[in-house]
Amino acid sequence: MNDGKLAAFGLDKRGAILVALLLAAILAIPLGVRSDFVFHIFITICLYGALSTAWNIVGGFAGQLSLGHAIFYGLGAYTAGLLVPYGISPWFGMFAGAALSAVVAVLISVPCFRLRGPFFALATIAFLEVVFQLALHFKGITGGAVGLMVPLQIGWEWMIFREREPSLLIAFGLLLLTLLVAGWIRHSRFGYYLIATREREPAAQAAGIDSLKVRLWAVAISAALTSMVGTFHGMYLTFIEPEAMFSLTLSIQIAMFALIGGIGTVLGPLLGTLLVVPLTELARGWLGASAIGLHGFIYGTVLVLIVLFMPDGLVGFFTRKTHPRPDEAAAQPGALQASAGALVHDPAEPEEARTIGEPILVAEKLNKAFGGLRVAQDLDLTVQQGEVLGIIGPNGAGKTTLFNMLSGFLPPDSGVVRVRDRNGQWVTPGSPHEFARIGVGRTFQIVQPFAAMTVLENIMVGAFHHHAGRKEAREKALEVAERMGLWAQRDMEARNLTIGGQKRLEVARVMATEPRILLLDEVMAGLNQTDIRQAITLIEKIRDAGVTVIAIEHVMQAIMALSDRVVVLNSARLLANGKPEDVVRDPAVIEAYLGEEFVHAAA
Amino acid sequence: MLRLERVSAGYGRVTILHGISIEVGQGEVVTIVGANGAGKTTTLRTIAGLVRPTEGSITFEGKDIGRLPAHEVVDLGITLIPEGRQLFPYMTVRENLLMGAYTPRARAEADQTLQFAFSLFPRVKEKLDQHAGSLSGGEQQMVAIARGLMAKPKLLLFDEPSLGLAPIIVKQVFETIDKIVATGVTVLIVEQNVFHTLSIADRGYVLENGEITMTDTGAALLKNDHVRRAYLGI
Amino acid sequence: MTVFWQLVLNGLMLGGLFAIISVGLTLIFGIIRLVNFAHGELLMVGMYATFLLTTQLGVHPYALAPPVVLLLFVVGVLIQRFILQPLLEARDHHVQIFATVGLSTALINLALLLFGADIHSTPAYGARTALSFGPFRILTGHVVMFVAGILVVGGLHLFLQRTYLGRAIRATAQHRHAAQLMGIDINRIYIITFGIGAACVGLAATLVAPMYPVSPTVGTYFVLTAFVVVVLGGMGSLHGAFIGALIIGLVDSLSGYYIAPDLKEVVIFAIFLLILLVRPTGLFGLGRGSE
Repeated sequence: MNDGKLAAFGLDKRGAILVALLLAAILAIPLGVRSDFVFHIFITICLYGALSTAWNIVGGFAGQLSLGHAIFYGLGAYTAGLLVPYGISPWFGMFAGAALSAVVAVLISVPCFRLRGPFFALATIAFLEVVFQLALHFKGITGGAVGLMVPLQIGWEWMIFREREPSLLIAFGLLLLTLLVAGWIRHSRFGYYLIATREREPAAQAAGIDSLKVRLWAVAISAALTSMVGTFHGMYLTFIEPEAMFSLTLSIQIAMFALIGGIGTVLGPLLGTLLVVPLTELARGWLGASAIGLHGFIYGTVLVLIVLFMPDGLVGFFTRKTHPRPDEAAAQPGALQASAGALVHDPAEPEEARTIGEPILVAEKLNKAFGGLRVAQDLDLTVQQGEVLGIIGPNGAGKTTLFNMLSGFLPPDSGVVRVRDRNGQWVTPGSPHEFARIGVGRTFQIVQPFAAMTVLENIMVGAFHHHAGRKEAREKALEVAERMGLWAQRDMEARNLTIGGQKRLEVARVMATEPRILLLDEVMAGLNQTDIRQAITLIEKIRDAGVTVIAIEHVMQAIMALSDRVVVLNSARLLANGKPEDVVRDPAVIEAYLGEEFVHAAA
Repeated sequence: MLRLERVSAGYGRVTILHGISIEVGQGEVVTIVGANGAGKTTTLRTIAGLVRPTEGSITFEGKDIGRLPAHEVVDLGITLIPEGRQLFPYMTVRENLLMGAYTPRARAEADQTLQFAFSLFPRVKEKLDQHAGSLSGGEQQMVAIARGLMAKPKLLLFDEPSLGLAPIIVKQVFETIDKIVATGVTVLIVEQNVFHTLSIADRGYVLENGEITMTDTGAALLKNDHVRRAYLGI
Repeated sequence: MTVFWQLVLNGLMLGGLFAIISVGLTLIFGIIRLVNFAHGELLMVGMYATFLLTTQLGVHPYALAPPVVLLLFVVGVLIQRFILQPLLEARDHHVQIFATVGLSTALINLALLLFGADIHSTPAYGARTALSFGPFRILTGHVVMFVAGILVVGGLHLFLQRTYLGRAIRATAQHRHAAQLMGIDINRIYIITFGIGAACVGLAATLVAPMYPVSPTVGTYFVLTAFVVVVLGGMGSLHGAFIGALIIGLVDSLSGYYIAPDLKEVVIFAIFLLILLVRPTGLFGLGRGSE
């Protein structure tokens, strides 16, 4: 593999060699020792490693804690097992089971993905129980509680062997397959989208990600892989019963291994398996086979300890030990100059005479109420191409609500938002990602960094919108990072940025999607004077590049400097609309801000 | 009475307050003004024990309270009336008020305090058996203040008491605060309604980006050009 | 018709049992916002304790209610203090899920190690004797559970409504920051709440023990139903849990007879999924179920 291919899996040369050595050891040790017990342990490691890696695509990358993954494992085993008596090879059954599992997974997940956290986990348990009970009930197909024997036909064609080596090879192959798929996903656009959706769903949608779609793909792939392992395991055991195939214990175990090793990392699930499986086998050796329940006791205890003391799992623990924290590296003197420098020698865009053009976004009679509280009343707004529109108003006036309606995050009770697309057609997008795709980008008042990602990766999530390839997205993101003054911090974890840095990241990520209309929600709140001046320069540049800007802002200095036009919201209504210097002299506006008496005092 | 010395505080790795020093004397009304995000709310939350200061000291009546958890700070006589009211929505108004007197010190005198609160807020008495969540914004603010009084505070911290209220209600809220001050309670208040607060405050601090940039009497700050510019760009 | 009404009666009695198990679960969720996946294992611990004490000391299981309730209260307090409290401020929900899932796995397998996989029956001391009411028959133990279910739900309701501590618990659930501002030590409230939730299960264990044999996985069986009850009634709602328990008891009893005994769980879980997906706040939830 050349370096480019390695990079696609997020590995440098040293990492690649370590991973290769680890995998070689998993294969070489049993082949060298050649004892049945050692074969059994390593086949178990490969199987659980593969199951856990497959689970991690949904549980880790997508952050949906499925505790019902045995459904797919069982489907894989049963599909192949039931086809064998008809003379159909389990190799075919493996793929048939995978396809079936993917379909079932999507059907289950469409409704379940509306649930969060523990409720999603409960729903997956419930689905598993239903499948299990049905499998027990329909004895004619599944053999019921008695189970099914797989006809003993020996040979590669039937996936059943007298010797242990071929089984090890197949189990290892499955492990390798799941690792490759997981590694590829993690470092492709798809993986970035999954993790972005997991970390901050609204911000992911604002970056143009169809969050439901990426999650469904993840669950389909994960289910298919789980099912393939199930097929093999069924053939390996030559015995299939609902109790073992649709087992809650198994579902919990594979999730457990991922968490112990490092949830959401490519190698974590395998490392977790490598730690726990041999540990329990050894303990069983010491205490004798009579110690029933011992392995489960160890699993559970290790899990609780890991959650308490190493919440990022083994992978998180070791990477923290071996690498300096990124913020320490970036906090060195010079980091600041570098970022200031990047702003200065930014290649100046050719300054064109800015023209404010046709309407590009129109909102008509927007109304919205939460319970009895009206947060928008008959709001009309027309935004011209190329202008900077400032929105001001006291806290609670409904500014952010308006933004949420202009970007698809909040459907208005009545009224409509229309956007002119690139071809000049007026359209009404139906969801946040559709707004993003048509070119409406937004930031959030409460910054929403994808905390587990670096600054550059955050920006890449936006850049993927127009650049599907990882390399192109990275280049685009680097360019944006430089323009936004985030160059020096590009490898920091986003959660470690200062508040000013997070605000800039918020803008950088949306700018990477190359929006035509940019909605900025209080990007200057909490910034110091230097940062505010930088931010003003930044927005001027964005404006000069032809982007229409709508900005909610409390920093009056910035609103006055930037806005071509200002609208004032008060108590869910439009209070004023006009040139900035006129608006701030409007007595009604002063009253809304400072109170009635101030008008007289000022007079 | 209350003294903050070079206090820094923030959330996680983000520092909001950079070494601020504030003093509030017995019986005073002191206000902190500043833009959104300047750190006003964080200041009050730090005093109340909800946010741990990373540096500096906070003393109240000579006692270091910088490391105390919130519930112990309440017991010493500091009560925060939080931004956005934060009532217990599914409890009745009566229950909300009783919760205000949760500390043993306040619980012993709950009945008398309740009568005092009714004298300030006759409207609250009419709504005693309604769920707090069903009240209007103005009524909720009244209950929030009454609930704060139930703790028998020596120092009351107000965070944006006029937020989201109609001007007429705002006026009532400030009249009530005047009455409370008249009973001898010390008040530290944070408000975006600059005129009202500065006009009732003995002294004021201007907080910008987590630093105190100016301090003067309320009347002087009201006439100050810098304050006016910071608030409306005029 | 006699069969039908007998089934209804059985269902209601079963509902009493589900109620007493579910009430602690819904309390813990409602106050601490924590889905306790180890709840069933607390029941299992209580049942083993009852079984051991009854067989060793020859005491009526019902007489063991005070010590077992106290034991479970202490267990609950320890779990909350040392395992769950450090995780309350965690960034992700998943650590709390995994902590209770891990605890559940560890406890089930500890029981396997100590007592083996076999089931053990606690002496019934007459709890399995049938009482006759005209054509209908009910087991004494079921009547006791039903009455106890009503008493526990009613008692908890009064405790939460009428006492300062009970109100503080509700206040913490409704607004944990504001509760701190009232001078409430919310960590203490959480510890007490988890203790009470576990203590309810302790009482349930002493009542269930003479009726059903104990095994390491007995908790899994009951708690899955308890989750259905709690979601149906509305997570966090006490009377919701009681009514949900009666409904599920009826469904269990009727569908077992009229559909098929081995499909009654399918029916129950189908209801569960339907509620989760269509009305996640349950019948009496406060609109917060999807958190």
